Amino acid sequence: MTRYALTRLGLLLLGLVVASVLIFLTLRVLPGDVAQQIAGTNSTPEQVAAIRERLGLNVPLPVQYAEWVGGLLTGDLGASLVTGTPVVAELAAKAQVTIPLGLMSMAVALLIALPFGILAALRRGRADGTFLSFGAQTLAAVPVVWAGMMLVVVFAVWLGWLPAQGFPRDGWREPGRAFASLVLPAVTIGVVEGAMLMRFVRSATLAAMGQDFVRTAAAKGLTRRAALLRHGLPTVGLSIISVLGLQVAGIVVGAVVIEQLFTLPGIGRMLVADVGLRDLPKVQGELLALTAVVLVVGFIVDLVHRGLDPRQREVS
Amino acid sequence: MLRRTALSAAALLAAGTLVLAGCTGGADPAPSETVGVPNPDASVSIRLVLEPSNLDIRQTAGISLDQTLIDNVYQGLVARTAEGEIVDSLASSHEVSPDGLTYTFTLRDGVTFHDGQPLTAQDVVSSLTTRQSTPEWADSERLANIASIAADGQTITLTLTQPDSALLWNLTGRAGIILKEGDAVDYNTAANGTGPFRLANWRQGASLTLERNDAYWGDPAQVADVTFDFIPDNQAAINAALSGEIDVIVGFDATLADQVEASGDFTVETGSATDKSVLAMNSTTEALADPRVREAIRTAIDHEAIVEAIGAGQTLFGPIPEPDPGYEDLSDVVSYDPDVARTLLSEAGVEDLSLTLTIPSAYGSTLSQILVSNLNDVGIDLRVDPVDFGTWLSDVYTNKDYELSVVNHAEPRDFENWADPDYYFTYDNPEVQELYAQSLAATDEAAASDLLAQAARIVSEDHAADWLYNWASVVAVATNVSGMPVDNVNARIDLAEIAKSDG
Repeated sequence: MTRYALTRLGLLLLGLVVASVLIFLTLRVLPGDVAQQIAGTNSTPEQVAAIRERLGLNVPLPVQYAEWVGGLLTGDLGASLVTGTPVVAELAAKAQVTIPLGLMSMAVALLIALPFGILAALRRGRADGTFLSFGAQTLAAVPVVWAGMMLVVVFAVWLGWLPAQGFPRDGWREPGRAFASLVLPAVTIGVVEGAMLMRFVRSATLAAMGQDFVRTAAAKGLTRRAALLRHGLPTVGLSIISVLGLQVAGIVVGAVVIEQLFTLPGIGRMLVADVGLRDLPKVQGELLALTAVVLVVGFIVDLVHRGLDPRQREVS
Repeated sequence: MLRRTALSAAALLAAGTLVLAGCTGGADPAPSETVGVPNPDASVSIRLVLEPSNLDIRQTAGISLDQTLIDNVYQGLVARTAEGEIVDSLASSHEVSPDGLTYTFTLRDGVTFHDGQPLTAQDVVSSLTTRQSTPEWADSERLANIASIAADGQTITLTLTQPDSALLWNLTGRAGIILKEGDAVDYNTAANGTGPFRLANWRQGASLTLERNDAYWGDPAQVADVTFDFIPDNQAAINAALSGEIDVIVGFDATLADQVEASGDFTVETGSATDKSVLAMNSTTEALADPRVREAIRTAIDHEAIVEAIGAGQTLFGPIPEPDPGYEDLSDVVSYDPDVARTLLSEAGVEDLSLTLTIPSAYGSTLSQILVSNLNDVGIDLRVDPVDFGTWLSDVYTNKDYELSVVNHAEPRDFENWADPDYYFTYDNPEVQELYAQSLAATDEAAASDLLAQAARIVSEDHAADWLYNWASVVAVATNVSGMPVDNVNARIDLAEIAKSDG
């Protein structure tokens, strides 16, 4: 187990190094730079050049990369070229929106996926089970933006229960208001992600029902449902933990779209704005932080999975 | 010399969201009257499309900084009204000598900055001198004709090397903003001005809040605070308005007027604007070097249909829009006629012409679709290349690597780009440059404006570009809000008069 963990940790670090190079290089392919954005459409080439010089954009790329990685090793993610604010501070501020949004989306997704997925498996072949599966297929195909718009029209414009957009200006000082402003965005992401997850839960449950030990338990006198619930569900849980690791990436992507739609000051909206501005040091800091989160969650999920699954322990 | 050109994404987005076409906004430019008594403790929320990238008014380009901070937080010796008149602001009076070489301002007494420091004549001298001597700041060139800036008591005297009919106007903009000498404020994220509002809070990616400056030298603001909410999407803005979260929508898509007016809580108002949607034609490319080809393109475009699709605004056939000095109706220069366009193309010996239009993707596709269809009609194959604004700045603006490009130039009085052969328009006509220089040197306003009109006619007759439309300033205002400016809100939003009742 220790050896496995160490190998896995090595892979994680290698992943981060590769990601840092890829992020750094791909951003440099983008046409234009932040100096042009600051100078705008009333500037002369000389003015743009002066700003470029002041911001250090003329420093050779290998040197820029080395400086960035040097900063990373001392825990410094860099700073915005436009506002001078450290990336860590920006991420911390925007995480107050994006992390609760991600957790709430995940909760909504699980609340939909677990009961309906298991039910759809148990009722396979019957009308209601087929209906559930069909419903999940349909929901999973719904564009997130459209789902969000419909929810806003019903719950914000018609019923007036929840805000149509935005996040309280004073953040979480009034937790009720902050929470309310994240409900529609979280449901929007959660419903679509949940529908995809539900199909996975259904097939994992079906697979569990076919496992030798579940059939054996049934053969020993348990009802099919009891055998599944007592012996099969732990294996379903393991599969879901693995998938949840992947869902994190899906929710990050969902947040980019949803934060635009609901005008939420989160990490997703900040990223889009910063790419538009070509504030590359900030973008690369943000992207690396997000990559690290996804990789670390994957790392933890793998370890937990291995720790929980007796069959995998035996193999190692 | 370059003049500022601001881009209004509001117009771009409005042009892009025309799914529900058909209805146009009302055409009443007078601000609506409040029903009920204004509440001095009220908060007003205004939707804007674009947000500033930072708050440095000295050098960061972008119209959203002008909209939010100038007039409200920062002021100059003189200011401009929404209708484009020049009025005194931090100066209590000003005088221009008959030869146009001496400008004398009397500084208002008792003005303080938001942090409590007093405004002195030395602050004015230092603000203008610093701006003039910092070439990295785009607006420094606007003060190039000033030879000396001197203060004597509350009197400030500018002496010019040559007359400059644009100087006062320039002083109403960023070039004329007065800052505290040696101020320690971090201009990237904070502000310290003299206006009726002080900066309370800027949350990047969300909003910017101004609160009333109780120590203001003039009439105090009539609301406790104003928040600009940055909501790029038009439909999201309408939803926010209908659920009572915002009071004013700036950059309103006129084709969606029915949606907000049906509630009875909003009225849609349309004022004049200086937004010019410019179809730039790169005359340094082989295909567009022949003026007959450029004329053919202009003749092939159905400008009336474009205005109808946008739902607001009017046609424009030259570089100067109606609110600006030097405007003249130039519709006699070109008129929509596909047959004439085809004839012009065959006279020019052009067959199977294929062109690429580079357009910022924020504009959506409506405008591009009309252009593709119009040009296809006369045998020109138009390919559309939507790019993000950063790419547009690099490829089109900086490298002039384009054939056709559409961008909305919102800034008022920006004719000088046609007199600058290095601008991305690639238009180089010494006669126009000379007329523009004469206009600047004129000491008589009518003469200056007449020279501009002559130059503008030549630009249009040379078919240096096409002007797809002159956008309107469209706002949706809650019925309990009064004093919201209606004209030119794509460039400036002066909040001095805004009030809100509880009704």
